[in-house]
Amino acid sequence: MSRRVLCKYFAHGACLKGDYCEFSHDWNTPANNICTFYQKGICLYGSRCRYEHVKPSQVDSHSISSSSNTHSISPRDAVAQAWPPSIASHGANSVCSDEESSSSYKSLGPPTTPAWNNLDVQREDYYEAEDDVLESRKNVDPADRPLCSYAAVGNCPRGMTCPHIHGDSCPICGKHCLHPFRPQEREEHMDTCQKRQKQLEALQLSQEIECSVCLEPILSKPTAAERKFGILSECDHPFCITCIRNWRSSSPTPGMDVNSALRACPICRKLSYFIIPSVIWYTTKEEKQEIIESYKAKLKSIDCKHFDYGSGSCPFGTSCFYKHAYRDGRLEEVVLRHLNAEDGQTVIAKNIRLSDFLSDLHLR
Amino acid sequence: MIDFGRVQKELQECSKDIEASGIKVTPKGDNLTRLLGTIPGPTGTPYEGGTFQIDITLPDAYPFQPPKMQFATKVWHPNISSQSGAICLDILKDQWSPALTLKTALLSVQALLSAPEPNDPQDAVVAQQYHKDYQTFVSTARYWTEAFAKTSSLGVEEKVKQLVEMGFPEPIVRSALEAVGGDENLALERLCSS
Repeated sequence: MSRRVLCKYFAHGACLKGDYCEFSHDWNTPANNICTFYQKGICLYGSRCRYEHVKPSQVDSHSISSSSNTHSISPRDAVAQAWPPSIASHGANSVCSDEESSSSYKSLGPPTTPAWNNLDVQREDYYEAEDDVLESRKNVDPADRPLCSYAAVGNCPRGMTCPHIHGDSCPICGKHCLHPFRPQEREEHMDTCQKRQKQLEALQLSQEIECSVCLEPILSKPTAAERKFGILSECDHPFCITCIRNWRSSSPTPGMDVNSALRACPICRKLSYFIIPSVIWYTTKEEKQEIIESYKAKLKSIDCKHFDYGSGSCPFGTSCFYKHAYRDGRLEEVVLRHLNAEDGQTVIAKNIRLSDFLSDLHLR
Repeated sequence: MIDFGRVQKELQECSKDIEASGIKVTPKGDNLTRLLGTIPGPTGTPYEGGTFQIDITLPDAYPFQPPKMQFATKVWHPNISSQSGAICLDILKDQWSPALTLKTALLSVQALLSAPEPNDPQDAVVAQQYHKDYQTFVSTARYWTEAFAKTSSLGVEEKVKQLVEMGFPEPIVRSALEAVGGDENLALERLCSS
């Protein structure tokens, strides 16, 4: 299987394995140029990624169509440099329809000659290739035609003669990147756009919030670790995570009640049992709940160091946020022991020790 | 480690509305760990018209520990020691919160002047007088205010002149006045004790 994928190192002329390489050293084999991070859900490089952003379902058709060039980025850069600056810049940071646009560059010049050596030849190649595409695309279903990335971010210099589809403008981001014939993709784009918009707004609001302890805007702190809110579970007063943690962990002075002073909000003195770190501030109760839930879910996936796979004992017991699982993956079972007290009340016993009974023992 | 950035911000904030609150905080020397707070006596109380100075020392863990405050001006009040100037106020002890600032703490001290707590006294003698003979308490407090908290009405030169007339050499008088922050009673005490 892997024999059929072009060796990345060979493509750069630097494979040390030679004949023993498990990847193909034949220029005619297709290069595996698909971003695995994007397929798993998120690629941090976004539109700047050197690899192709293809959804898993599209991979099969894609890898067949892709020719032997090693990097989709280099011919694209070449075009971007050769074209007028305004278009070039648009082309360079085209966000949407990356996968489509890169596929159309597949038929570009041979990979053995670096793309930056002969820009003019590249450009001619590009137009020729485009014309070929135009010819071949005439009979193709419009849903299969890719979006024009130049039109998506601004103007397409080819106008009506462009072989690609010029998308409808997205009401949120304003880019012409809604494919008229792919309803699912449209919806997907609108959804992500909306989410991003919301997050941006929330982030903008968060920027100005000051911590009442250090009196500085929380998101302007020098280090990334400090640029976090410490959300109190019971009230809505903002603090930075370092300040509120410092306060809660400071040693109580004599006569101080831990619950009414240290664990209380410094402003309203409402008691909160835990704090939630967050990079963003919330505006509604639902958003706060969402932050809390995702924080708890994250901690639930981490093994508790106190529980230590069953060999230790966790002081937080059943209310611990971390995972209590044994080495074989079995989760801790919680069995509550009810004790009947002398006055007829039922109490839940925890951590029963023999010494507790011995101290009550009256020897006669 | 003291958060000096926050102390700087607090001083700036405080100097912004000095007109409205009358509360002033100034550093003593270059070091921001020792400060001098000034509060006006609240109107409608025996302390009206006086200006009270409070010595402030910031602990290392400030703002996670309360600032240490002590009256530098002598004051007759059940919750303030007439000898040492020590203040009995919960927010300066176990009820401190890092969201409080020097200004809010001084405001609380000012509020304490207008609302004494004789049942939780710092100075037992004053508290006893407050309970048994309220009229005498009021007049004593007023007298102390007149005697110790109204010195700032005199100019520096007048104070120097007063002290020189008592028989102290002028350069020593000037340095003593400077050392105690311009209070001629404290300066006199200092001159007598040295």
